[in-house]
Amino acid sequence: MAPMRRESDTDHPEWFQKKRKSRPLIVARWVPIALVGLPVATLLAIVIYPTVWMFYHSLRDTNIQGLFMGTHSHIGFSNYADVLGSERFQDSLLHLAQYLTFGACLQVIIGTVLALTLYEFVKSNAIRTVVLIMLVIPMMLPPSIVGVLWRFLLTPSNGAVNQALLNLGLIEQHIEWFNAGISLWSIIIADSWNWVALPLLIVYSGRVSLPPAVYEAARVDGASQWKVMRRITLPMLKEVIAIAFILRFTDAFKFVDLVYIMTSGGPAQSSELPTYIAFQRGIREFAVGEAAAYAIIIFIISAVIITLFLKYMKGVMRARGFA
Amino acid sequence: MAHLEVEGICKGWEFPVIDELSFAVEEGEFFVVLGPSGIGKTTTLRLISGLETPDAGRILIGGTDQTRLPPYRRRIAMTFESYALYPHLSVYENIASPLRARRLPANERDKRVKDVAELLRIAHLLDRRPGEVSGGQKQRTALGRTLVADPEVFLLDEPISHLDAKIRHELRTQFHTLEDLRKVATVYVTHDYAEALSLGDRIGVMGTRGRLEQVGNPRDLFERPANLKVAEHLGQPTINVIPSRIRRDNNGLFLDSETGDLRLKLSGESEAALAGYSKDHVIAGLRPQYIRPIDEAADGMELLSAEVDVYEPLGTNGIMMANLGSMSLTALTDPEKHYETGQKVQIAVDVSGLHLFDADSQVRLTGIT
Amino acid sequence: MNHATGAMTAGGTERTQDAWRHVRYLFLAFLGLWIVFTVFPLYFMTITAFKSAAEANLTVPTFWPQEWQPRNFIGVFDERTNFNALVDSFVIASANTALSLFLGSLAGYAFARFPRQAGGENLAFWILSNRMFPPVAILVPMFFLFDNTPWGTDSHLSLIILYLVFNLPLATWLMMVFFRDAPVEIEEAAYLDGWTPLRAFFKVTLPLVIPGMISVAMLCWIFAWNEYLFANLFVGTAVRTYTIVIPTFTHGSQTLWNFQMAFSLLALIPPVTLFILLRRYMVRGLSLGVVKG
Repeated sequence: MAPMRRESDTDHPEWFQKKRKSRPLIVARWVPIALVGLPVATLLAIVIYPTVWMFYHSLRDTNIQGLFMGTHSHIGFSNYADVLGSERFQDSLLHLAQYLTFGACLQVIIGTVLALTLYEFVKSNAIRTVVLIMLVIPMMLPPSIVGVLWRFLLTPSNGAVNQALLNLGLIEQHIEWFNAGISLWSIIIADSWNWVALPLLIVYSGRVSLPPAVYEAARVDGASQWKVMRRITLPMLKEVIAIAFILRFTDAFKFVDLVYIMTSGGPAQSSELPTYIAFQRGIREFAVGEAAAYAIIIFIISAVIITLFLKYMKGVMRARGFA
Repeated sequence: MAHLEVEGICKGWEFPVIDELSFAVEEGEFFVVLGPSGIGKTTTLRLISGLETPDAGRILIGGTDQTRLPPYRRRIAMTFESYALYPHLSVYENIASPLRARRLPANERDKRVKDVAELLRIAHLLDRRPGEVSGGQKQRTALGRTLVADPEVFLLDEPISHLDAKIRHELRTQFHTLEDLRKVATVYVTHDYAEALSLGDRIGVMGTRGRLEQVGNPRDLFERPANLKVAEHLGQPTINVIPSRIRRDNNGLFLDSETGDLRLKLSGESEAALAGYSKDHVIAGLRPQYIRPIDEAADGMELLSAEVDVYEPLGTNGIMMANLGSMSLTALTDPEKHYETGQKVQIAVDVSGLHLFDADSQVRLTGIT
Repeated sequence: MNHATGAMTAGGTERTQDAWRHVRYLFLAFLGLWIVFTVFPLYFMTITAFKSAAEANLTVPTFWPQEWQPRNFIGVFDERTNFNALVDSFVIASANTALSLFLGSLAGYAFARFPRQAGGENLAFWILSNRMFPPVAILVPMFFLFDNTPWGTDSHLSLIILYLVFNLPLATWLMMVFFRDAPVEIEEAAYLDGWTPLRAFFKVTLPLVIPGMISVAMLCWIFAWNEYLFANLFVGTAVRTYTIVIPTFTHGSQTLWNFQMAFSLLALIPPVTLFILLRRYMVRGLSLGVVKG
């Protein structure tokens, strides 16, 4: 007879109702706390303290002199009002939307397509490995090299890309890659070149680790390859693809170095992202109060998004027996 | 004095798992805890070993209270259901681990590891990794690691349940012959009643919340189960459970099944068991070996007509599920006979094998009340 | 009616399968195009590294060097500071990796083995979330914080500590994942053998997570090696990482593309080598432990 494991609370014996957490015998109670304490303290110092500092100054009219002389005064939320009301910020939000859609999102989609194409249609293991390594090399480059390289390649007058396109007869005259309206696209191209490998790698490995038994069953049933892809592969890779999305999305909110190196937000602020403005105002122009307001706004937006992502990830980890 | 004493230990997480469990194991005794999976057997071992702390109760080893002692300070050896061998170390190093922990001199360590390996017939595998040996050899290695430790208490958690039948039998025999196990207190946990009956000096049958339904030697448990649960747990195929009504008339004491298909005249022991029992209803338990299909009736034997429902030939005997009117009975048959579904058979019931239990509490009726 | 439906389904399947065969070439073509898109810049980078400064700046760029100039790879080190930059990057990345891994292993172990006592799932996720937050929020305050320390911002130590912002959460999280992979029963068996927790950790747990640990170390190292934003702001005089040196190869108003590319290629060698050797473990780390490589 199977034991009854769920019983009503009233049924519980006395010792159980008044029991406290029993003392662990293996290590003292303070040991795990100490083990976790060191990193937590470090993060409090290097992440939480600066964030609180930023929040404080976002409510003040701090500039560079003010900061050194200690002369800055409380101005309430007017920094936020300035930022939220400025056209510059609103434009940068549009740029961010463009980057998220055609940068982050499209990168994951392209990476997924490439990974599945590579796995399903390329049968030689050696070729797969070579292609994989080739496609991943850009990911190993620092943003400064990526930025410099693409600025070099996209130079309108004597850049390699324009020359190659001319030679191939695809264009009649040079494309002005760094003109307003195009420069953000150039950044997105460079960023995609840099980062498509991440979703690609993740989805490819996810596909490799799917159990072959499922596919054998499908083959016996005579399902078409397309059906197998839609009904089996994609649903089973859902979580893996979601993780790739999460990684690219959170990176997108941190994204600033390529903008800085390739266009400096220009021309005429046409390729500015919110993070770049915070960087520019705070670091280059030392309008600390305003930069802090930008930073805190970005912080809040990303906090909401990160919380949602982590909640999803918690579910994934639990389903896979981790957390 | 008992070597291992467990005094009213309690343990619970989201719900109580072990509720006031007590038992004692003498030095040299092989104590088997028998129970279905998930009942708290492994938890019991983990409490004794110190891997878990009891919420209440005491654990005494060799007369001293070790409830608050961490596992690495107790002299306890334990095998895990999953073997828990160190995958990165050789079989030799796995076995040597307790000796290295105690910083034994190299030559003495070497000798003891080799002796144990010899005993368990894994001496030729000492250089291999656990991943490179078979399941039975893994279990021997795990066993070697506990034997070499020279502990005061052995805890064996389902050590042979996951092996195939042949190796299981071989290792079971080996447990009988391992002298080391006979010198200390051993607690052996299993869900297999045959293992329990074969190995145990004493057996404790564990029920819900770690309650011991009955503790006794194998013979006792099998022949005089304290309640229906114990009776059901011991024996394969499972005992026939027949809810019945008691009827007295001029001819004597009768047992009628609730369905009315089976009427048995009680005598001897079973009659005595009902002495002082005032209820009309009773639960009767009858092991399949006391129900047999019979061709010709011997003198005084009462025969019943039944129809074969399922027949399983098992080589050394056969198992027949027969329908007696609306009642289903399991019977043990001779190996040379074969039966077809739907076949009409005559069945003889041996009332001497009858166990009677209280209709409400399901406790065995002994007649001494 | 039934019959007709059956026939249609069968025909439909055949058609999809036929169409699928063509779609396959479409996908393969896309893969091919993407390979060209990926390789072309790498190719151009490589050949530029072999060109002379004049050729690299021609009005009409050449796709094959007119004259090979392998001396570029030595020439970039004519200025000793360029070599020092590689050393600085190496020192910073290695020290930061060691620190991240040490602190991360402590916490990761605690989270894996004593989840409740260590603060639970939520604390682990909070630590991870630190990796995802935008660093711009901390740049300014950290700059002034380090400016007030005796060693200042322009030092190895400032970057070694700053890079903990992204590497410590990663290391903690991944070490937790790897410690969880090592079965707890093996550790318990060691306790019963008489090993104290500390000795048991070094005897059985650590050897089992070493492969995971190496991959975490490599990942952290690459992230620190390639960091640009913090380095660009914090250091530049006494200490220079190679990432901030690359955009500075100029001669007068002329950019020395050939030197930039040669230097980049050299800097690319360590991470790419690491990736090729450890790519199976890396995927586990890059996906935060969700995808088993």
